Amino acid sequence: MWDKLTKSLAMFSSAVVTGTDAEGYPFSVRLTPRIDLARQVLHVELPNHVPIQPGAAGLLCHSHDEGLWNLKSFIVRGRLEHEANGWMFHPRQFIPGAGFGGLPGFMRWIMSCRRAARQYLEKRGLPRPAIPWKAIEALRAESKRSISP
Amino acid sequence: MTTIDLPPEIETVFREFRTCEFSTLARDGTPVTWPTAARFQPEPAQFLITTSIGQAQKVFHIRRSPRVALLYSDPTASGLMSPPHVLVQGDAVAPDEIVTSVDAPEDYRVYLRDNIFRRQPASEAMSSNAVMRKLFDWYYMRLLILVTPRAILWWPAGDFAQAAHRLEVNHVG
Repeated sequence: MWDKLTKSLAMFSSAVVTGTDAEGYPFSVRLTPRIDLARQVLHVELPNHVPIQPGAAGLLCHSHDEGLWNLKSFIVRGRLEHEANGWMFHPRQFIPGAGFGGLPGFMRWIMSCRRAARQYLEKRGLPRPAIPWKAIEALRAESKRSISP
Repeated sequence: MTTIDLPPEIETVFREFRTCEFSTLARDGTPVTWPTAARFQPEPAQFLITTSIGQAQKVFHIRRSPRVALLYSDPTASGLMSPPHVLVQGDAVAPDEIVTSVDAPEDYRVYLRDNIFRRQPASEAMSSNAVMRKLFDWYYMRLLILVTPRAILWWPAGDFAQAAHRLEVNHVG
């Protein structure tokens, strides 16, 4: 997990770190973590005014291009702790997102989404709905003509 | 109904950013954050997000705990230079209704047209022929998520070292 995390983190210039505030709402900031190889933790410089509480936390790195494509992302679940030398993110689980694992990874992702969709429907006793492909194509054509308001 | 008197530069971020980082809370309280496309609707002030039933984890989280956050911190493709970074904290609802029609509700139609199809033209591949339609039909079985903001914070030029500006959202009715 640690090797995957450090290699993947090196592909991005910054990360989004999310903890929770005193009222239990998620609170996110973008920063550049520093890797502590010896302790296998990430130093994160949270400014004093950021109200994140120590505890369960997550880290996200992601990117896309100008056409919102070539998506790449991963998340890490872990904990944030305020220690003597600052805030530390203790990683627990690495979860790859888009753009990891090449073509086999992409195919696994499609199959897992298909399986999850089937289970969602089965659990509710619903038939697989028909998709209105003609209407989708018409809306796509409209999107090429329209200007965002 | 909630309306917000937003500074124009914040509304511009909501309109022009391609993605935000959307956080929900897992069963054990761990915040789980993934990039997603959100559409801000000024009246009433709400954010519309959608997800496929094949990727419904964030919806399951919301049905257990409605507390969510959206961070706008990646301006790629927005055309904005040094925009503020904006954090929205709020409460989400995610009805258990699968939407396949692209004609209604109207907000979803506009979201799909402007935030997805127009900005992500390569996604057309997912409906381009019979094989792709078979592989990706689940993508068009959508669940809607509506986020009502309770606080909006922003950092000019994305400088998190500075204290954030903060706008509390008052709910009426």
